[in-house]
Amino acid sequence: MPARPNGPVQKSLVRITTTAVEPDYRAPWNAGMIARGVGAGFVIDGNRIMTNAHVVSNARFITVERDGDPNKYPATVQFIAHDCDLALLNVSSPNFFKNMIPLQFGGIPALESTVSAYGFPIGGERMSITTGIVSRIDFNLYAHSSIDSHLAIQISAQINPGNSGGPVMQDGKVVGVAFQGYSGDVAQGVAYMIPTPVIKRFLQDVSDGHYDKYVDLGLTYLKLLNPAQRHFLGLKDDDRGVLIETVVAAGPCNGQVKSGDVLLSIDNHPIASDATVELEGSRVDMPEVVERKFKGDKVKLDMLRDKQPVSVTIALDTIPPYMIQGHAYDVRPRYVVYGGLVFQPLDLEIMEAYQPSDLRLRHFFDYFVLEQIYVDHPEIIVLTNVLPDPINTYLSPYRGTIVDEVNGKKIKTLRDLADALAQPGDRLVLNMIGDGPPLVLDPKQVEAARERIKARYNVQAEQNLEEQSLRAQPKPSEPPTKP
Amino acid sequence: MSIFAAQPNAPTKSIIPGNKPKELSLVRVNVTGQPYDYFKPWQKKAPFSKRGLGAVLQGGRVIVTADLVANQNYVELERAESGDKIGADVKVIDYEANLALLEPTDKKFLEGLSPLELAGDTAVGDRIAAWQLEPTGALVVTEGIVTTVQMMKYPVDLGQFLGYRISIPMQYRENSYTVPLVKNNKLAGLLLRFDPRTQVLDAIPAPIIAHFLKDAAKEHYAGFPSAGFSFFSTRDPQLRTFAGQTGKAAGVYVTAVEPHSPAEKAGLQAGDIVTSVGNNDVDQNGNYVDQFYGKLEFTNLLTSRAFSGDTVPLQIQRQGKPMTLSMTLEHRPAKDYVIPPYNIDQAPNYYILGGLILQELSRQYLKEWGPNWQKEAPQRFVYLDRYQSELYPEGNRRVVIMSQVLPANNTIGYDDLAYLTVKKVNGKEVKSLAEFAEAVKQPLEGGFIKIETEEDPKQIELEAASVADEAQALQENYGISSLQRLQ
Repeated sequence: MPARPNGPVQKSLVRITTTAVEPDYRAPWNAGMIARGVGAGFVIDGNRIMTNAHVVSNARFITVERDGDPNKYPATVQFIAHDCDLALLNVSSPNFFKNMIPLQFGGIPALESTVSAYGFPIGGERMSITTGIVSRIDFNLYAHSSIDSHLAIQISAQINPGNSGGPVMQDGKVVGVAFQGYSGDVAQGVAYMIPTPVIKRFLQDVSDGHYDKYVDLGLTYLKLLNPAQRHFLGLKDDDRGVLIETVVAAGPCNGQVKSGDVLLSIDNHPIASDATVELEGSRVDMPEVVERKFKGDKVKLDMLRDKQPVSVTIALDTIPPYMIQGHAYDVRPRYVVYGGLVFQPLDLEIMEAYQPSDLRLRHFFDYFVLEQIYVDHPEIIVLTNVLPDPINTYLSPYRGTIVDEVNGKKIKTLRDLADALAQPGDRLVLNMIGDGPPLVLDPKQVEAARERIKARYNVQAEQNLEEQSLRAQPKPSEPPTKP
Repeated sequence: MSIFAAQPNAPTKSIIPGNKPKELSLVRVNVTGQPYDYFKPWQKKAPFSKRGLGAVLQGGRVIVTADLVANQNYVELERAESGDKIGADVKVIDYEANLALLEPTDKKFLEGLSPLELAGDTAVGDRIAAWQLEPTGALVVTEGIVTTVQMMKYPVDLGQFLGYRISIPMQYRENSYTVPLVKNNKLAGLLLRFDPRTQVLDAIPAPIIAHFLKDAAKEHYAGFPSAGFSFFSTRDPQLRTFAGQTGKAAGVYVTAVEPHSPAEKAGLQAGDIVTSVGNNDVDQNGNYVDQFYGKLEFTNLLTSRAFSGDTVPLQIQRQGKPMTLSMTLEHRPAKDYVIPPYNIDQAPNYYILGGLILQELSRQYLKEWGPNWQKEAPQRFVYLDRYQSELYPEGNRRVVIMSQVLPANNTIGYDDLAYLTVKKVNGKEVKSLAEFAEAVKQPLEGGFIKIETEEDPKQIELEAASVADEAQALQENYGISSLQRLQ
């Protein structure tokens, strides 16, 4: 291969330095830990810089640099997608984009073809290039949210921290954004890039000025490979159909699709019994059809119910209960501190911060969606910590328990808890889920101890109930020009 | 049961006179056994051998720990000095207290051995000796000191029993199971577990052994009773106020009462404060003052100090009002539980349907995942086991599970399914394997067997005729002697 097969990429490549504040879920009233990181990005049409979400998540201050220019330019996040690890940055200085070449996007590169990755990994300060081949094209977990899976292309080019957000190119076009890989002890030469279908979907989603996130059907299904089951359901021996198992109550199919329905086609694409459909000449897993859709888009499902054909049209949407099982970014942790007791809504951040071994807590987290626990408990309010003080001396056994009721009133959200604690009456009785005794507090004693606890533990705000975004909001302006 | 590593330079001779017997009171016990395989419940696992020591008791019987003889196929007693051997029967066994009584098939076998009497209560600070045998048959005596007497966990982990904790530099010997502990030539305890790193030995104490022997003398061995309520300390003044407790701070707060238990039948309710058990005052932490052992958790009064059928008075306060309840203690058999806590020396029930392996969930099944089963077994099953009183308050049922799938023609497409809870079969709710077997006999229209599960896939269908046709091939392919066991 000749040198510089993709042209002068340094005219498009951007070095991004981010200073982030990572919230501390164990002391949620504190600002958190300051972290600095370096990543890569590249210029695309409309004077925007594309990079990974994980390069700029929780950022308080971002600067970008370009080749041949000693200046560091402040940048802001215009759009960020945590569910597919992509972000777009703006630079306020009008000079930044002068003489920079926006990169174009290609298609999906062929297996075994050569690609080059450009970025700023460890080992030096200037642009670094690594090359490899396309090893595999498959659905993969996107580690940034740790709950979303999309198409990802595995490449053999070495990708290291600092490569994140950088373009991977072939024949002068961007065929992917480098975003994750395995550490050397686990595997070598296994790295991933976000392919152009995912990138293009993101760009299209934000073209209306708002990122609306990936949508989901909210269904689980079984491949219909067992002959007896097929006969029972009234299916022919035609290798078609999947069996609907769970219909998520909070999802868009609720009420229209039922457990036991056989899904035969989606948007008129026949579904094979191994759950694949044919799209643009190749067989892909059925979820790929929904992957390409946007919030509010419709999808047509043809089914067999009790051996009768049924067709429904579903308006696609996100499914909020799933969110607790993915990482949270750019938000201030929500909590209530009362009497030195710290209450927080259960989510992945809490699980990782406290590593609870309690079986009930882990069960509620793992089965939150599948067992529809969110129906009765939209938020699982956990007493995560007890800040020791004379008024709570005997309360440490309650650590890790889930609040069920306060003074007889069911608690379904953090706000419910805050409201109940604000009107305690003569005595506060908290019933936690399970067998333990009630947690009893004297509101007058709690009130008397407030300042002492605040001072001792440096708790400036005793609660945060809002899921406030921490990012500086983009200035309201006309949407960027379309390519 | 821990196996202890070899340790050099530990004392082997008695330094206190009176702890060396004139005649031997020990026999070797050799056990060959095979536990059932809960993953392939039609067969047993590979045979094991265990060796231990038995203490000879009055009446031609030998006492050992239950875990020595659990799952035995053959038990043999061996005279240490002569090497003579004879078979033995397990006459009485209590898995919860970890004790078993053996009898040789010929009583004359034990002639010449002097039976051990049971020691009285042993106090903290007493010296106590572990008796072991050299390969030559010579007695090895190691001495230790009792550091604590407290309630402790026993292997089956169903409630706690009294135990002695002894600091002792014991050495590894061939007999790694059942080591008698002796004080003044009397049996003071049996080894429960030993940690060679810390040199701490936990022992089943004489009071528990005495209870076991007294109960074993009856026609039917009843077992240790339980009350069936859980409790919490009342150190928190707020909790005491909430419970309306009047007078001095004492007693424990009742957090839950098990349905159909002695406590429920006595009228105990969640929210009561129990201030006295069997005429012994209970403090805020749940301790009473034992005349011999000092502060001990009151549960000892309901286990080692009471028998099934005994009536025990409870003094309680209900919202400040003092009341006396009368509780008749009972042993709760393992089979009464929805998810039984153990199932030893009994073949597990199972039903194989076309390749699907159906069983009843038990903790014995979960323990197949090893000592760390609480983290490694399917977590949903662990959750059902732990919270069974809450999730199945009516009791009187089992939880039928589809454990794994044997690949076969009938189960094509189902091979990856495992660890599912069965709700219904052919439209009927099933609460036991027997109900499952009955429901299977009535297929749905078209000859289909439909199994509904709590978890995905939610439904599994088989063709009854096809299953029957393939039954024999399934048995031959997988070496399954019988496709079901329902006892």
